[in-house]
Amino acid sequence: MSNGVADLTANGSELDSSVFGDSLWGKAFLKFRRDRAGMWSLAVVTAYALIALGVWTGVWGTSWADVSGAKWAPISAEHWLGTNIIGQDIFERAVFSTKTAFEVGLVVAVLATVLGAVLGAMAGFFSGSWIDEIIIWLMGVLDSIPFYLLVAAIAFSLEGNPYAMHIAMISTFWIGTSRLVRGEVIKLKSLDFVEAARATGVNQLTIIFRHILPNTFHILLVQATITFVAAIKSEVILSFLGIGVQDGISWGLMIAESTFEVLAGFFNNFLAASVLMFGLVMAFNMFSDALQDALDPRTVSG
Amino acid sequence: MQAPAQQCTVAIRGRPGRSFVVIALAVACLVGCDGRDSSTPEATTASDIKVFRYSMGGAPTSLDPVQTRSVYANFVVVNAFDTLYSYKYLARPYRLKPNLATELPEISEDKLTYTIRLKPGVHFIDDPAFPDGIGREVTAADFVYSIKRHFDPAMRPQGAWLWQGRIAGLNEWKAAGSDYAEAAEGLQALDRYTVQIRLTRPYPQLVYTLAMGYSALVPREAVESYGREFAIRPVGSGPFKILSFNTAKVVFARNPRFRSEPVDIWYEGYDPPTQSFTGVERIDGRAPPFLDRLEIDFIPEGSARWSSFTKGDEIQYAGLPDEQVDLVLESKDPVTLKDEYARKYHMRTGLEAGFVFTSFNMMFEEFGYNPDSRRERRNRLLRCAVRKGFDWSQRNESFYMGIARVFPGVIPPAVPEFNADMSDDSIRYDPEGARQLLAEGGWTPENLPVLIYGTVSSVKSRLFYEQFRAWMKIIGYPPEKIVLKRYATFGDITRAWSRSELPFNGKGWLLDFPDAENTLQLFYGPNGSPGSNDANYSNPEYDALYERASVMLPSPERTAIYRRMNQILIDDCITISGMSRVQIMLWHKNIIAMPDSSIVGGFFLRYVDVDTGDPGQAETLE
Repeated sequence: MSNGVADLTANGSELDSSVFGDSLWGKAFLKFRRDRAGMWSLAVVTAYALIALGVWTGVWGTSWADVSGAKWAPISAEHWLGTNIIGQDIFERAVFSTKTAFEVGLVVAVLATVLGAVLGAMAGFFSGSWIDEIIIWLMGVLDSIPFYLLVAAIAFSLEGNPYAMHIAMISTFWIGTSRLVRGEVIKLKSLDFVEAARATGVNQLTIIFRHILPNTFHILLVQATITFVAAIKSEVILSFLGIGVQDGISWGLMIAESTFEVLAGFFNNFLAASVLMFGLVMAFNMFSDALQDALDPRTVSG
Repeated sequence: MQAPAQQCTVAIRGRPGRSFVVIALAVACLVGCDGRDSSTPEATTASDIKVFRYSMGGAPTSLDPVQTRSVYANFVVVNAFDTLYSYKYLARPYRLKPNLATELPEISEDKLTYTIRLKPGVHFIDDPAFPDGIGREVTAADFVYSIKRHFDPAMRPQGAWLWQGRIAGLNEWKAAGSDYAEAAEGLQALDRYTVQIRLTRPYPQLVYTLAMGYSALVPREAVESYGREFAIRPVGSGPFKILSFNTAKVVFARNPRFRSEPVDIWYEGYDPPTQSFTGVERIDGRAPPFLDRLEIDFIPEGSARWSSFTKGDEIQYAGLPDEQVDLVLESKDPVTLKDEYARKYHMRTGLEAGFVFTSFNMMFEEFGYNPDSRRERRNRLLRCAVRKGFDWSQRNESFYMGIARVFPGVIPPAVPEFNADMSDDSIRYDPEGARQLLAEGGWTPENLPVLIYGTVSSVKSRLFYEQFRAWMKIIGYPPEKIVLKRYATFGDITRAWSRSELPFNGKGWLLDFPDAENTLQLFYGPNGSPGSNDANYSNPEYDALYERASVMLPSPERTAIYRRMNQILIDDCITISGMSRVQIMLWHKNIIAMPDSSIVGGFFLRYVDVDTGDPGQAETLE
């Protein structure tokens, strides 16, 4: 048995090569698998995702809003991380906040990336035209406004809307992705396969969305992970400031609660939220770095 | 006087669509000015300048006396403007005294005509609104004008409820178009210094209302010159004049033209056994104000306020935040400081002259009055069930150190009509009883109405909401039907209350004067929104009793009526009430003061002195 395992391991890379082929994605996958930090970070992110999934499906974190203990109860078998000022279980709240973080992260990352990809591709393909100028002007205008001021303004304008924070973040986070995609599309549109498509009469939108944009997916994937982390961090800050999560609980709200608890010598809320947020942000950053390395065309082909 | 039930966040909010511009301007403003005038560095560092830095949990939205609905606004306004009457600085129970008036009013035998004489030679502060910029003398006509403003819709007034239907002719004056050239029958300036008020019926609380910021005297020239800007450019005759005002702080300088009236601490009610620790005897015989500069910081979060207070060189007055209790207090009952704090700070403690409570807005058919009488009966059962599910004890323990006093109804312990022997059924936490009431009313999780829970945008307010929602879940009210609606500032939510936009109003009420009438009027039908009765309660029996008692002087008979009215409110389950908080006020030991945030309120600031440690000052004092 042990020999078999050793053989399998020894032949692993060979098998991988045969299975995943020589494509950019195949090579990137193999490279990512060899990145130990990347794999660990993926495992951590997956664990968080499972926690979030469990909350979403109602398996755990269901009593985060209940008043189930005394004020600032210490850590016990009943309350693993103690309770807050009104007797709510901090562990339950911290776990539920994982879902909040994933919800915000996923919604913002997906929509901001899609928006950035579409507008970036349009700007790049029609570079020099009025379409490009309008999109660049829009990016410049939004970039010139301090981020948190803009987010606060949008959140206040859409007060009462539970997705105000999401809209605010999407409306700014697409810009980075859009700039990168625009540059990539300008490079791609002069390549032979695009010329070939043009020569065969394919219309411009089909060229953009079926021929060029798929070739920017490696950028979009990395940008999505970066946006995911940025969204989580922003959500925490905005919730801390009182303009983030409207209904529910988040790590930012827990940290906001802790601002007057730490002075009383009670740190559980602060530590629970901070440690969980640090774990996810750190893991996602490392995952993002590993992904970026794996998908870098300059190294992946080597 | 409305006060938040908790600390509220000061922020800027505008209508959707305008908010972006408002916030951008606000940020530009904050970047451009920090609330200090150009003399700040000198003022705060020079040892011969006496500066007192007070702190409050919220900011006024306007400094125009007609808009002093909040306790914060009233507190600030009485320092910039003069009222005819104020309260004796040190006397407890509270006692009125003349301020701008020469003496207490002459009252006719039928109790309907009040004649009040003003002190001559009192001037408004110098201001460009006056000819040559020199403040003119304050006259009886200014008082008449100032009260009339409450009946002029263009002024966006908030205090008409105090005199509506009581001072003869004011309602008619308003109905005729609020023309200041026209006289109001019951409000006359007999001569330059004499005011006469004629009432439609006896109003024993009238003199109290003349000690409120609402009745402060304003010069017509300034109101007309500045228009709406008068709300941030007050021109009064008070002890201080305002140098700057924003959402973070108000800065005053001494009014150099303030009348010289030496303090007689014995007249003010000085009680050496309980007050000598404050050093107030050192102001005896001297004319206030004693401060060169007064700063009031608006710091919503208690922890931030405490942090600033204990730094030593920032604010010099603060209330003790709940989270510091175990660190600062040696014992809670009686309240005593630990040695390390007792060495550094003076402390005063006592039950507030007010209470916190939460009322249903009866205009909402889901909870209050309903065309269907059967549904209306069910609504009453629903309100009673919610009240039974409200855990005052836990609220007290969580947010008020466990030492606040919970009492039934709306007559708080601070007034003489309080009944300590009243049944505590209405404040007893009884989730099982609540569930039974819901079942009796046919309420199920499916048919219970959505309850919009309005609150200001602050951490503590949010926790209030979460705690309430958790209690409701226990009695079977689905959490998703308890919906949070947040308002950026206390001013925003007070507007929502006055516009009857919320079905459930949680707030604090600080007494305007020490008489239960001041809390019972909160449920008097004609005071409905936009008046002070934002529960919009209307009960003919209650209203009749109120009208009967409102013309009576204090007596056992009046007390009995008050208590009957209190019982009606309890029986109808209109309000979940109430709790009077214990105030623990601390101030630096170099400050000579007897702070009071209740009835005396902002009036005490003119008597504050700073011990500069200068031997020369001691000699002068002696």
